[in-house]
Amino acid sequence: MTTLAIEAHNLGKHYKETTALSDLSLQVEPQQIYALLGPNGAGKTTTLSILTTLLPPSSGTARVAGFDVVQQAHEVRRRIGVTFQEIVLDRDLTGRQVLDIHGQLYRLGKAERTRRISELVTLVQLEDAIDRDIKTYSGGMKRRLELARGLMTNPEILFLDEPTQGLDPQNRVGIWDYIRTLNREHNLTVLLTTHYMEEAEALAHRVGIIDHGTMVAEGTPAGLVASLGTELIRVQGSGDTAHFIKTITTMPFVLRVDQDQQQGAIQIYVDNSTRRLLDVVQMAGSNGMRVDDISIARPTLGDAFLHYTGRGLRDA
Amino acid sequence: MYATYVIWAKHMHKFSRSTEEAMGLALQSVMWVVLFGVGMRGLVGDVGGNDYMSYMLPGIIALSALGGAVGGGLILLDERLRGITKEYLVAPIPRLSILLGNAASTATKALFQALLMLLVGLLMGARLAGNPAGWLAALVLVALFALGFSGLALAIAAQSRSIMGYHGMIFLFNLPILFASNALYPLDVLPSWMQVVVLFNPTTYLIDATRALAFGTPATLPLLLSAVVVLSLAIGGVGLAYGSFQSALKRNM
Repeated sequence: MTTLAIEAHNLGKHYKETTALSDLSLQVEPQQIYALLGPNGAGKTTTLSILTTLLPPSSGTARVAGFDVVQQAHEVRRRIGVTFQEIVLDRDLTGRQVLDIHGQLYRLGKAERTRRISELVTLVQLEDAIDRDIKTYSGGMKRRLELARGLMTNPEILFLDEPTQGLDPQNRVGIWDYIRTLNREHNLTVLLTTHYMEEAEALAHRVGIIDHGTMVAEGTPAGLVASLGTELIRVQGSGDTAHFIKTITTMPFVLRVDQDQQQGAIQIYVDNSTRRLLDVVQMAGSNGMRVDDISIARPTLGDAFLHYTGRGLRDA
Repeated sequence: MYATYVIWAKHMHKFSRSTEEAMGLALQSVMWVVLFGVGMRGLVGDVGGNDYMSYMLPGIIALSALGGAVGGGLILLDERLRGITKEYLVAPIPRLSILLGNAASTATKALFQALLMLLVGLLMGARLAGNPAGWLAALVLVALFALGFSGLALAIAAQSRSIMGYHGMIFLFNLPILFASNALYPLDVLPSWMQVVVLFNPTTYLIDATRALAFGTPATLPLLLSAVVVLSLAIGGVGLAYGSFQSALKRNM
């Protein structure tokens, strides 16, 4: 039996007045890219903080690279690389100094540090800027430097908290490329959080959707989408929508119905949208609902995300 | 404790590159000695068989060490608020080394400042005692004192939620430490209730010992006691910082 790269059992984190995490379990296989999706305040960063030994859990246990994050925190720290949600860099140092100091903290020798820095600077394409002060860097360059810092010590597992937040499409795609390369060529396991659906779809082998501090759905991106039903009919209308929803839900070809509270759009997941379109329109008419707009779509990961987490706005 | 060294070296590197901070510290020292020292000397003349410049130098060196400690706490607070501390916290290094690295760089800066003030003081007419071993012992005490008070400042910095809150807390203990001590006036001119207060202030012991060791003013308190007090301050301060830091870590940095 191979050990899991990351395993968390029933993690909870409670503060005096709030619960950040309740009963979250998670498993990541070695060499996998795993994306944690969730709305703001769902508990993504708390989960990452516990797994990276920054925060002790109030309940539950977690092992990273085979070591307990509380009892064997030191062993865990030696084997992981981390980047944080906010940019965490000393503005008055050069990129090279940041990487070098980081290597020193992990007791890498001088020759090793020099070699790693030159490899990583090439990987994240910072050759021209590495000897400049960080205060001259753009947001994308800072993120790339942080990624390089996380990789400096050759970790087994890399944790990335919203690695492409606030970046332009070029930098975003660039960072995705680095992550894929590292995963493929260096067998790196990656756990990342994001609320960009396309990021999860582009990178992740597995996706976990968390909300209100607990795991609400998990699977491959394709599997999560498929769990909603193969195809989707979106109906926008007025009139007796409640009655319509009640009736349509009982139809054998309907797998699932979601309603958007704010905009009133109804999403009907069916086995075959083109074949069922007419049925849906007729049923709307005979149930006192006037159809304003109707469209056919394939569900996306975004639909799955909204299905599992709802549409209410979150106060992070 | 290699990590302590790495963090210390990083702070010292940043200090050496920050001309503002370095110049600020240097000018502060010079101004204290020149403006305050010269003015008071005209007023006071001799204290305890020594000229006032020699008398008050240890006091303002202690004061500048306090200022340095406040600055050291501010560095930790700033790193904490900006999240830089997290880089240390996920690294396989002891938590204590984060604090020691900070406190050590504070003490180093305090030593630089002490040396500079000493130099200016000498130019302004202060007279050192004959024995260089005494000077060295005094500097060691100053470094320990700076370490102890950086510990206290770090303990506050580990818990503060903002720079403003930190300054408020620091101000509370900074002022009495200077005035409720023997920094500016000798113990025996004070009313007895204030003597009691002053004897609870570790600064008094540092200053008394420094006067005796480096400037040849007769000690008014036993030297050994002074050394023990300053050493206890250093150990206690760092211990307090560690406790405060650990408890802050359990919540969230």
